[in-house]
Amino acid sequence: MYEAVHAHPDGETTVARHAATAARHGYDGIVVRTRDALEPTGGGESVAADGDGGGGSAATDRDGSPVTDPDALREEYGIDAVDAVEIDADDPTSASGAVGNYRSDRTVVCVVGGDDAVNRFAVEQSRVDVLVRPMADGGDFNHVLAKAARDNGVRVEFDFGPALRATGGKRVRALADLRKLREIVDHYDAPYVVSANARSHLQLRAPRELIAVGEAIGFDAETVREGLRAWGDLVERNRERRSEGFIEPGVRRGRYEEDGC
Amino acid sequence: MKHLPKHLRPRWRYIAVGVESWSDAEVGRRAFQRALWYSAGNLLGDAGSADADLTLLSFSHADGTGEAVVRVRHGHVDDARAAIACVSEVDGEPVGILVRGISGTVRACEERYMGRATPSSTQRDVAFEGAERPAVARGDACDVRVESGRVGATTFDTE
Repeated sequence: MYEAVHAHPDGETTVARHAATAARHGYDGIVVRTRDALEPTGGGESVAADGDGGGGSAATDRDGSPVTDPDALREEYGIDAVDAVEIDADDPTSASGAVGNYRSDRTVVCVVGGDDAVNRFAVEQSRVDVLVRPMADGGDFNHVLAKAARDNGVRVEFDFGPALRATGGKRVRALADLRKLREIVDHYDAPYVVSANARSHLQLRAPRELIAVGEAIGFDAETVREGLRAWGDLVERNRERRSEGFIEPGVRRGRYEEDGC
Repeated sequence: MKHLPKHLRPRWRYIAVGVESWSDAEVGRRAFQRALWYSAGNLLGDAGSADADLTLLSFSHADGTGEAVVRVRHGHVDDARAAIACVSEVDGEPVGILVRGISGTVRACEERYMGRATPSSTQRDVAFEGAERPAVARGDACDVRVESGRVGATTFDTE
């Protein structure tokens, strides 16, 4: 199971600390939503190679800046750190530009919802992987968006953050929104993910805890589990798509006979 | 009062909880118990909260790390787990919660999940983002104080 986190400078915790905590909580990997927190893998192969080439000195030259190399993190904590980006745009036009910019060098591309026009844009773009926090800040979701999300394979996020951390009326509204979203997503079989939206290592919760909270607020245990696994599936799919042999779904460059007769 | 016959006594489960906080945070036993009950009251309601019980049997916390044993009524463990997971702050200090395990007796709970040796913490200056900054290191974890507040890092980040 994977969890998607906000890392320093967006959150209060570096990727390494998130990785250490997530490993203790039993996650297989973390998706780092913060653009600056992790080096992009692939796309900029040469850049990554440069970084590795200077590996020895780079480690000492980092000048105490947080570790951003996914391979080093995997070696240290045994956990998969995935480069992602969250696009927080005010209108579809700027979101579209940002999606185009980041699609080629990030494994996971998320669009922050919370605005009707941006929600609509995100679910209609198959280049977008996840529409995150669709109900935050007065955003809304309906059957049209659910159908579009299903047809374009855009995952809709169930944000458990307010359920875990908010109190009072704010939490009540967030739970009501979650229920509405759940009913729509359920009915149209739209793909989804689940996350606690942790901004620090203290906000991370283990999968079983998230499942328990999900059950308490009306989700099926299996739905939550599936939502946590979905991040991993998404990462795997995108990595395959970006691998060299991939041509299109179902078609990949494989072995062939050298002197075909 | 004379104690109940065995078949009428409530059956309990004991949940071992790991508590983490910023290294300079003080988390007290009473405050943690209050946070637990508030969380249960808010998530499960008064009735659910009474069912789950959630009495704190033991609690210790120092240097940003701690552990607790919480008593829960048998059959309400999942509700209790959800309520425990929803504890995000104690007295305004953010806390991280991890359920380590569940046992049928206090003794098994303590033997199996508690008393894990925690490395002692040391105060020192570390290089972080191009400057020497005060930090508290505990094992691999390293809480760094920066202008905007605190950053949770690891020794892997700062070395």
